[in-house]
Formats: sequence, C-alpha cells, structure tokens
Amino acid sequence: MNVTLTVNGETRSAEVPPETTLLVFLREYLNLTGAKTGCDIGDCGACTVILDGKAVNACLMLAAQADGRDVITIEGLATREGLHPLQKVFEETGALQCGFCGPGVILSAKALLDENPAPSKQEIRNALAGNLCRCTGYVKMIDGIQEVAETMRSVPTPALPAASKGEQKHG
Amino acid sequence: MADVLDVLEKDHVATESLRRSDQALRLPVVAPPTSLPLDPPLVPQVGEQTHAVGLRAQRPDSRNHGLGLTRYIDDIALPGMLYAKIKRAGISSARIVRMDTSKAEAMPGVHAVLRGSEIPTNVFGTSIVDQPLLADPIVRQAGDGVVAVAAVTEQIAQAAIDAIEIEYEPLPGVYDALQALEPGSHKVHGGDTNVYARKVIRQGDVEKGFAESDRIYEGRYYTPGIEHAPMEPFTSIADWDANGRLTVYASIGRITLARVDLSRTLGIPISRIRVIGTVVGGNFGGKNEIRHEPVLALLAKKAGRPVKGRFTRVEEFIASTIRHAFYMDYKTGVTTDGKIIARKVRMVLDGGAYCSFSETTLGKACILSTGPYVIPNTHIEGQVVYTNKTTAGSMRGFGAPQVCFAYESQMDDIARDLGIDPIELRMKNFFRDGSMTSTGQVLHSVKVAESLQNAVKKFGWEVR
Repeated sequence: MNVTLTVNGETRSAEVPPETTLLVFLREYLNLTGAKTGCDIGDCGACTVILDGKAVNACLMLAAQADGRDVITIEGLATREGLHPLQKVFEETGALQCGFCGPGVILSAKALLDENPAPSKQEIRNALAGNLCRCTGYVKMIDGIQEVAETMRSVPTPALPAASKGEQKHG
Repeated sequence: MADVLDVLEKDHVATESLRRSDQALRLPVVAPPTSLPLDPPLVPQVGEQTHAVGLRAQRPDSRNHGLGLTRYIDDIALPGMLYAKIKRAGISSARIVRMDTSKAEAMPGVHAVLRGSEIPTNVFGTSIVDQPLLADPIVRQAGDGVVAVAAVTEQIAQAAIDAIEIEYEPLPGVYDALQALEPGSHKVHGGDTNVYARKVIRQGDVEKGFAESDRIYEGRYYTPGIEHAPMEPFTSIADWDANGRLTVYASIGRITLARVDLSRTLGIPISRIRVIGTVVGGNFGGKNEIRHEPVLALLAKKAGRPVKGRFTRVEEFIASTIRHAFYMDYKTGVTTDGKIIARKVRMVLDGGAYCSFSETTLGKACILSTGPYVIPNTHIEGQVVYTNKTTAGSMRGFGAPQVCFAYESQMDDIARDLGIDPIELRMKNFFRDGSMTSTGQVLHSVKVAESLQNAVKKFGWEVR
C-alpha cells in the first residue's frame, strides 16, 4: 500500500506492506536511521519521533496510521546554520554517552518544549518517562532540557527558525 | 541564440520529467543528507593547541549521536542482505527428538535453514568451551537456539521459524545453585558434579581468629541475576567474499576473541576472518563474546548473501548472558571495640547453563570478598555451578558488586549490634598505606578513608 507523509518538511512516499510500522518505514524505506529499534514493543522510547506535534513510539504505530500526517525525526532538527539548542546542550552537558537513546530523548524533549516552554523538573521527568537510558542517566538530560527552556524563552519565538538565534547566544 | 536557449530549455525539461518519474515510479528512496551544521567541531582542528584542565568534559562523538548520524550496527545494511531469526527452545532441559524444517524451507522468501549438526565445531566459550551455537541434541536453557533461518524479510524469517516443528523429550532440570550442589541433583553437563570452577583463598588462621573474637556474626546474603539490558540489542552482519573470506560487522567489545571463536567454530583460519567492531549502543560487559555470529556466517554461506541477525528484547533476556546470582555466607569475628579479626566467606555462584566468563567472575569475587578492610585471618571458598537457567557471564564489576552488597550489609549489622556509628566502624578497619589484602598484595596510595570522609561530608551524614 502507498503511504505518503511529510517528514521533516518534505513530502515522502513509499509502497509498503500493510504491516509495516512507522519505525520500519522511516528506517528501511526512507533510510532515516536516527530513530532506533531498541525493544520494538514500546518500552524503551529509542524509536521516538514527533507526529503532529506529539512524541510517539514509531514502533507501536503502523506507517499507514501516519499517512498524510506530519513527522519530525532527529534528522530534521539541525540546520546548516546550527544545531538545535537541545542537541547543543546535550553534547555540552555530556548527556549522550553511547547515544542510542539520544534521538528519542531529544525528540521527547522537543515535543515537551514546543507545548510547554517553561516546564518544571517534574514535567520534564514525566515527558521522559517513556525514554530509557542505560548509560548516562537522566540527571544531565533533565538539567540540559531546563537549560534549553531558559535559553529558548529568552529569544522571541521558541520555534525552529529562531533556534539558530538562540544558538549564537548559547555558543 | 535561440538554439542555445532551446538546449537549455530541453535540459530543464529533462530534469523536471526525471524528477516527476522518480516519484511516479516510486524508485528506491534515498535519504536527504542530514545537514552538517557549521558549529565548531568538538574535536581539535589540525594543528590546534587545546587545553583540557578546567574544561567541561565532552565526548567528541556526542555530536554525531545527537544528530542521529552515528551508524550503529542496525543502521548498516548491505546490498542483497537477508535477515536471520533463531528459534529458541522455550524449554530449559530437554533432548531434541525430531525436527521438521520442511514447511519453513518451502516458504517463499526463505533462503537458508541451519541446524546445529551442520556447524563444523558446534561449541564455543571463553575459558571452558561448553556452549553450543545451536543445541544439538541437548537443550540446557530455555534460550538455547535450536535452528536458524535466513529470509528476505524479518517477518518471513519469523514465520519460518514458527513453522518449524520440534519434538522434545523433557529431561529433569535444576534451577537453584544450592540444589545444584546436592549429590542427587540433575547434572546439567553429565558427569558427577555441577561444580565447574572453584577457588580457595586463605590467610592466617581463621579458626584461631574466631576463638579470639568477642562477637561472631553470621549471615547469608543473596543477590539475583541481572540482565545488562543495553539499549541496542545484539546485532551482527556476516558477509563472505568470493575468495572465502568472511567479514563480520558486530557491536562486540572484544573483536580478537570473536575472531578466535569464529575461527574455531567455522573451522577456517583466523586470517580469513575480519571482524569490524561498530559503535556500541551500550555494553556493560554483555557484549564481550560471540552470540550468533558463526550461525549468521553459515547462513550467509548457504544463501550466498550477507545475513543480518538482531536479537529481540526477549532474546536479550533469555539468550544472552546475565550477572551471576550469588549465595554468600559470611561469618565475621570482631572485638567489642569493632576491630575485625577473622572472616570466613563461602559463596556459590549460579553459572546458568554454560561457563562463559564464570571463572573470571568467581576469581574477582573471591579476591574482593573481604572488602577494603584489614582482616588478619581469612578463609574464602567459592564455587560456580551449572543450572538450567540463563547463562551468567561478565557484567560490570565481575562479581565485585555482589560481594560488596554482602560485606557492607554485614558491616551495618555489626555496627548496629555493637552500637558503633557505621562510618566509625568502617574507618577503624579500612585499608591503609602498606596494608595487605587477603591475597597478600601490599597496597599503596590507599584513599578509601579519605573518599568515605568526603562522601560523609557531601551526604550530610552528621545531620541525617
């Protein structure tokens, strides 16, 4: 069956078997390997992508369910001008060790900040509840996300296009 | 001039129509390149002088991790690659009586089926070589692989292994390390004992030490098995070239050991085997040895195509290795003012179905079992036994965390009973410069007391 969706602002389509999950669709049909297969049963969050503004487990969703919708993957965050503030802060705080959970955590955090620009520590914890990490631990991630929230609030629009502005401030 | 324009126009049209047909034909999609940001790189530039002291520590590879650019093993695909699945026994102690793979072989999309009997040397291991790649005919743990399939998709491979019929004759089993020591217990590998490694360390005279002690404390401590659960499941790709050389891509930490095991099991010289270690998505000691690589290699050879195998999360728990479960009996003699003068430790490690890194774990656990304390009289006795449970192997600390749990728990018991502050009790007994460990090693630069004092300060022990 044909699945057509917007990925990182571009319309993409592919002919896939109906049982194809969104994760397999992204990884194997669009070659976007940033979302990872960790457990394939919705426990670990390594496959997290943003679908219509919400962080979802791509392994628990059929590609067909995402048909016509808008997906953001980790590959869509950075621009030529600079890293997304979350990517920048995560590397500065050492929040990425083996890095396997990183793309999922960053996208969960982005979905949170897009909806709530001033989250409390507990709200950040709740947003990351579906993302497991086995090396780094969560403290550096949570601190990093709070740091980003503060930086992004200090620039006029916290959306993506303004990210590069926050970037310079940060760097 | 008009001609020139015409040519340009034509070119333009050609590109346009090509693009349209691309979409219309749904040609294989190529991912748009991730834009490489112009941020200053995290690694020093050629000739750049850098200083490190006082700077925040950063991992240079975290840039790629955060961008999703790091190529882990599962992000690698070779042209024409097949997907392998291994059927797990699902029964912990049995003999395979009959296996029918005909339905799987007849499935469209299935390219190869492999049984244990087809593996040149169907056994591997890091010290005691006792683990089959595919059980044949005896199954000793529920996670033992029994047959493997390579197919064009993961789903077809899964359907194929589901269609393989196997008849088992159930055998008795043993599921507790202490029961495994009993003479009448089921012997997992035959013979007359389940004990496969033993270690004794003695210093001074432990009985004399107990006789001189004011108080004697005895306790049994138990720690369960733990799975490493790395975020990235075991994944490998095996690929042969036309000259009979094998390349294995794997997230294995010890590639040299992997080459040795591949060479032994496949019966080919080590010089024909190349193992490419990929970026590891979490190891914690669980990715130190081969798992399914020779099986993938033989499937690839049969099918004439590269084969990738990826463990499911369930396989990760049942068919990899785990941390050893420990039974630890501690007997400690102390004076009323809290000086330890004798300690006897007896421990039994649950090794699971195969040896793996058990000997190393046992050795380290025994050496460290008296803790960072000066004890003049010690007697340590440890053994590892086979059971029909998930194989135990190396995991962070190699036995050190288990014994630490036991001796520190007992230290708290002793402190409570003697009415001494637990910190003070430890300070009294800690190693100092020049102290001798239970194995006779004389220590230098001992910072354990200083570390505890720092921790006490930071924790706010006084005001707890």
